[in-house]
Amino acid sequence: MRIRCPYCGERDNGEFSYLGDAAPQRPDGLEASAQAMHDYVYLRDNPAGTIRELWYHAAGCRSWLVVTRDTRTHAIEAVEPARDVARARRSGEAA
Amino acid sequence: MSEAATTRAPSSLWRPRGAWEGVAKTGRHGAANGPAGIRLTLRENFGLATLIAADGKEADLQAALAERFGLSLPETGAAHVEGERGLIWSAPGQWLALAPSPQGLRDLPEVLRGVAAVTDQSDSRALVRISGPQARALLAKGVAVDLHPRAFGPGRAAVTSIAHIGVQLWQRDAGPTYEIAVARSFAGSFWQWLEHAAAEFGYEVEASAV
Repeated sequence: MRIRCPYCGERDNGEFSYLGDAAPQRPDGLEASAQAMHDYVYLRDNPAGTIRELWYHAAGCRSWLVVTRDTRTHAIEAVEPARDVARARRSGEAA
Repeated sequence: MSEAATTRAPSSLWRPRGAWEGVAKTGRHGAANGPAGIRLTLRENFGLATLIAADGKEADLQAALAERFGLSLPETGAAHVEGERGLIWSAPGQWLALAPSPQGLRDLPEVLRGVAAVTDQSDSRALVRISGPQARALLAKGVAVDLHPRAFGPGRAAVTSIAHIGVQLWQRDAGPTYEIAVARSFAGSFWQWLEHAAAEFGYEVEASAV
């Protein structure tokens, strides 16, 4: 499997390390219920199909990336810098 | 960097030591028939620093470096190198500054105060220049980045790994001549890969004149 890093171009997946699902967002620890924290920490979907997940380009540009991948075929649909995704999410919240 | 220490105590056990010392031997090695296909130039006493732009300050960094170096900040995957000076892209908002000597970068933290974080790397990376007619064939054995002229040419830079060792490489000219920076503590392991890979082409190792 190769990942097209938006900064470095197409690289072998050995240059990256995997974190997991990019969807969970940490709830506000002081406000959140125990159930919400439990969901955030432990519960993950395991889809057969498209998933957005976090990869780190450790041996390259040291950037966190959000990779949209099909778990059945490893076909990669999109790779975005994670900071762009986070900024877009934040500006969406502000709006 | 440690001039004062050496002049004060020349008999001290703690003496500055080149990154390739005890690792690389100068001279002609490998296949002995015909001219050497590879030339390895061991760089010493260069100045090297990482620059990390402060949030939203890339334009200011660009202006300060243009004034200070006369070099523009390279785009993603690019290197602007002139002689022994240069700026090399390393990551989003991050670059390497290269100078002929560590002294050449000494005023950089002051010049870039508030604009970028500057960390001296002069003693923390080992630098080797790779040239000769077989340079690309040699690197093809370890670099999983396409170095063919249509994909990678003079002024291009990449951060990747060779033999599981993190490297930063950039191309100086169409010769082709490449330069590779590797963490100094990995110089020995990296050299083992390099001499093994270069052996079939015959290679010449020389100390840098600069």
